[in-house]
Amino acid sequence: MSAITRFGIRLEPRPDRPRWLVWAVPVCSFFAALLVGAVVLLVTAQNPLSTYLRILERGFLDQGALSGTLVAATPLLFTGLCAAVAFKIGFFNIGGEGQFYMGAIFASGIALSYGDDLPAWLAILSMIVAGAIGGGIWAAVPGILRAYFKTNEIITSLMLNYIAGIIATYLIFESESFWRELDGTGAVFPKGKVIPLITWWPNLDLGSLVIPFGFLLGIAGAVWLAVLQRRTRFGYEMRVVGGAPTTARYAGMRPSRIIVIVAAISGAFAGLGGAADVGNFRHVLDPKGLQQSGFGYAGIVVAALARLNPLATIFVAVILGGITNAGYALRGPDFPSGLVGTLQGLILFCTLGGEVLVRYRIVRTASTSVAVKAAGS
Amino acid sequence: MTSNGLAGAATAIAVAAFGVSKRFPGVIANQDVNFDVRVGEVHALLGENGAGKTTLSNILTGLYRPDDGHLEVAGLSVEFDTPRDAINAGIGMVHQHFRLVPTFTVAENIALGAKLPSERHIPNLREIEERVSELANRFEMPVDPRSRVWQLSVGEQQRVEILKVLYRDAKVLIMDEPTAVLTPIEADVLAGTLRSMVDQGRSVIFISHKLGEVMSISDRVTVLREGRSIGTVATSDTSRQDLAQLMVGRTIERVERRVTDVPASGPTVLEIAGISADGDRGLQALNDVSLHVRRGEILGVAGVAGNGQRELVEVLAGLRARSSGTITVEGEPFDRMDARHPIHLGVAYVPQDRLGTGLAGDLSIEENLILKKYRRRPVSGGPFLRTSVIRSEAVALMDRFDVRAPSPQTPTRQLSGGNVQKVLLAREMSGAPKVLVIASPTQGLDVGAVATVHGLLLEAAEAGVGILLVSEDLEEVRALADRVAVIYEGSIMAVLDAQDATIERLGLLMGGSRDAGDKS
Amino acid sequence: MSFNDNLLIVIAASAIFYGTPLVFAALGEILAERSGVINLGVEGMMLLGAVSAAWVATNVDGPAGVVLPLALLAAMIAAGMGAAIHAFLTITLRVNQIISGLALTIFAGAAGLSSYLANIWNLGQAPIVNQFNRLDVLGLADMPLLGPILFHQTLLTYLSWSLVIGASFYLFRTRAGLHLRSVGESPQTADSVGISVAGYRYFHVILGGTFAGIAGACFSLSIVPTWADGLTSGQGWIALALVIFGFWRPDLMLVGAYLFGALSSLGFTLQARGVGISLAVLSALPYAMTIIVLVLVSTSSARRHLGAPAALGKPYEREER
Repeated sequence: MSAITRFGIRLEPRPDRPRWLVWAVPVCSFFAALLVGAVVLLVTAQNPLSTYLRILERGFLDQGALSGTLVAATPLLFTGLCAAVAFKIGFFNIGGEGQFYMGAIFASGIALSYGDDLPAWLAILSMIVAGAIGGGIWAAVPGILRAYFKTNEIITSLMLNYIAGIIATYLIFESESFWRELDGTGAVFPKGKVIPLITWWPNLDLGSLVIPFGFLLGIAGAVWLAVLQRRTRFGYEMRVVGGAPTTARYAGMRPSRIIVIVAAISGAFAGLGGAADVGNFRHVLDPKGLQQSGFGYAGIVVAALARLNPLATIFVAVILGGITNAGYALRGPDFPSGLVGTLQGLILFCTLGGEVLVRYRIVRTASTSVAVKAAGS
Repeated sequence: MTSNGLAGAATAIAVAAFGVSKRFPGVIANQDVNFDVRVGEVHALLGENGAGKTTLSNILTGLYRPDDGHLEVAGLSVEFDTPRDAINAGIGMVHQHFRLVPTFTVAENIALGAKLPSERHIPNLREIEERVSELANRFEMPVDPRSRVWQLSVGEQQRVEILKVLYRDAKVLIMDEPTAVLTPIEADVLAGTLRSMVDQGRSVIFISHKLGEVMSISDRVTVLREGRSIGTVATSDTSRQDLAQLMVGRTIERVERRVTDVPASGPTVLEIAGISADGDRGLQALNDVSLHVRRGEILGVAGVAGNGQRELVEVLAGLRARSSGTITVEGEPFDRMDARHPIHLGVAYVPQDRLGTGLAGDLSIEENLILKKYRRRPVSGGPFLRTSVIRSEAVALMDRFDVRAPSPQTPTRQLSGGNVQKVLLAREMSGAPKVLVIASPTQGLDVGAVATVHGLLLEAAEAGVGILLVSEDLEEVRALADRVAVIYEGSIMAVLDAQDATIERLGLLMGGSRDAGDKS
Repeated sequence: MSFNDNLLIVIAASAIFYGTPLVFAALGEILAERSGVINLGVEGMMLLGAVSAAWVATNVDGPAGVVLPLALLAAMIAAGMGAAIHAFLTITLRVNQIISGLALTIFAGAAGLSSYLANIWNLGQAPIVNQFNRLDVLGLADMPLLGPILFHQTLLTYLSWSLVIGASFYLFRTRAGLHLRSVGESPQTADSVGISVAGYRYFHVILGGTFAGIAGACFSLSIVPTWADGLTSGQGWIALALVIFGFWRPDLMLVGAYLFGALSSLGFTLQARGVGISLAVLSALPYAMTIIVLVLVSTSSARRHLGAPAALGKPYEREER
């Protein structure tokens, strides 16, 4: 009845999803994010072009940059898998952060209690198991609460992040625990005990490229998860529970049990990341360093960008690892610390928005026909 | 300007559509639809499922804008950008799936929407409640304006929907399949209400696919077929047969009544003894229900929606706990609430909510076909699924049950209603069940798919499956069932043999009157 | 030691002081969720608000009476813009609300935009001079018992009270509130009577964001008052839990917010008194209590009738055909 010609956009579901679109959209979203990021940089008086070039150089192109990138990518790969497996069944585990800490606490605990007389492979294996158990238990709590008490897992898993951080801080700064170095400078400035050399994880040295063992472990985890999801009965149950919980019950599945198991798997991935952090990189329980890194939250970005696909997670982890690595290398007055997180957030926003283009067609709603208008007035 | 305003009150046009078309991706929902509704008449829009009735009503109420054509209200061309425009133009709709907020009171629901000139900015609920009561009395639709909508029966909720439209003083009421949720008696009461509304100078657009009620309630009928308006006729000048012809475009093959060749003493496959169970709100929904189904027999369960049918089938599928009673399948009891148990005992179950419960909509046809056998060989070997077996079984089943889809990998959400039901039946029947529990098997399907589904059910019974058929469609129950049980407020009122199950007796029983049942 | 130094009175007074940002943030989230949109970006929006308020408070010259309102306004605009991104993604583009909200928190959060802005603005070098100080309302601050609790708070607390009263009235007494609730409960119904579902959702998500901005300003201008990355320390997430705890009602939420305010302040208060409880236990208490309270609320039978808006988290689209 109004005389104003309205126009707007409407989303229509696509009957088919062309293959090229599935690839083109994320790539375009990525560049769109860089464009928006450039605006943010410009507004805050930074030069976007040189900033991006330096990220590219320090993250990927410089001598040894890729090795550093793989170091940064390893925890992201694990926390990415953590979010990917859980989100896939609609269990929004955002406790990857705390599960990562718990993995680090458990793995360093095992490593510290290790004598020199046992073989190195056993040390590493037991750290892997301990890390997975630590993270798995920490994630099983929100899993059980969600499955059997219908408690919102987003908030519970997040609260457990803070509690895990407090536990780690307590172990090093507020107690004289087994994890804390009490000799030498450690008696004055609290810090963690360095784990025995025999428990340090190896690196695969290819000359120009050094691949951490933890990264290879992450790839193995991603492949394992991909097979689990696509080829097994349990993977099938996960798909049904994730997409149609009512149907799962109808088919005689046990959604509660599946949620708890998947929660534990999810936490185990993050816990492995924590174990790798101790075994491969820091060789010490470092609560401050862990909490500043925010690997758990970044893992959500990784998983979302990878569309919860385990194999794509490897690729995305390397890309974001490169940006993170460059961020470490460049940190300084004209490359402030929050920039990496801001760029990650922008990439995520653009990908989320871009994904809509894969699922829907954007249609301009028809403008009003003038002839009919005239008849009415 | 096509105003008939001068032609006198008797033929004044309340609302009319001229060449209205509406396309959706891949579908033409309305194509060149023309019709006009006079002031003071009940005008039926008749058409089968998918004929475009709902799209047309959504255009009339401003939810959609037509791609072509236009509407006129009282002779003036109008264009609705939003539902509010339609409401302001005096068009109100009573939806088939009620548009009510369950947690609100009746008065709050009615107050929802733009402020009327007579109302204050800060709504005074007491005042609204009084006006609702007044209105309810005037149209003889008793309802307590202070009760919460979720506490009301379906019939009462429909009254609220009608009052909501009358409260805004709508001149034209669109009723979408209003009798689908009512007992035959309630439907008669509704017909009276509609009559009194048109007598007071309003118009009613009555959307239906049921010939009987269109013949008895409406003054004129516009028939829709495949999105087009086929023509408008005065009800007094036409017959059921003519309308059916117009609606379907060919003579309808009526489902043949099945000749009962099941010996009355045949072995019982499903025995339900004295089961009681609670509904979702914790109130008792099933009260001491006892039924049995023999081998190769179809037992119909008739009743108005919401009288315990859903709870009954869910108990049978192991999805709802029961407080008492036993269920045995060929003498084997199942007692735990566990969906695996009845599946294991050979109870197939096709739920009413096909895409929400029976299938996982995002998963492919082949993935849905293994839903009940993925744990066993040959579909799985150890912890792994065998993709090649799954694929070849899917192809075979799709062929046998005539599932039309681009490929076995097509997500079931993209299938038409008929193909969805065929996928479900393919999966359930392929498990060689002893018992088939099926709820509203043809609801929402077009005529062709209805015939296919009915054929499959008769075929299954022929093969010795005992079928428990729950349906609100009396014609369907009467056409297929050997015996008919009537459920009312969670109790079985009576079990009639097919030849005794006349519409009249079933109608009385469905309304809770035991007299009819006691005679048998 | 005066009567008002009594431990319980001190705890009650600081419960209100520390609970105030929770009230703002949770009230904003109640409005958004009543419209059917979950916004997990509360923490991120709070940090955006905190950093913007801190910038204004350090860089704008003038009397506190001018600077502080400007700082609040800046906080509301910044956080409201964050909320607008979430609104656009979830309402127009129908992106999953949970993922979008998380993205907002990651984008704006402790390691994101708020930290970036604080860095380039050189906040965090010195305490912020313009602060919301505790007032002596009607000269009653020294009144026994009620003085420190009710009459010796900052202006922000009194603002939060008036917003809670206003929001309750709005939700349950006005036509717009009725419409808002119908949009969250049954968008189909609202749409069919001509209420703009998208309009109501946009408005309340953004309004909720501005409240989160004020909550953030509470930290940078009153509680902490200096800049540190992530200075809200997860209070935004506790606010989300409070919405559930308060059954989506402002009045019940207020009670919860002060309970958690008491827990948050317990550490400082008890330590100042030399009570020998481990700092780790005390600082973990609010987080652990959040979990426990959520479990209790989600299992209680009350949930059935006072539960979440029925359409919460679901994008609305008119069904086709």
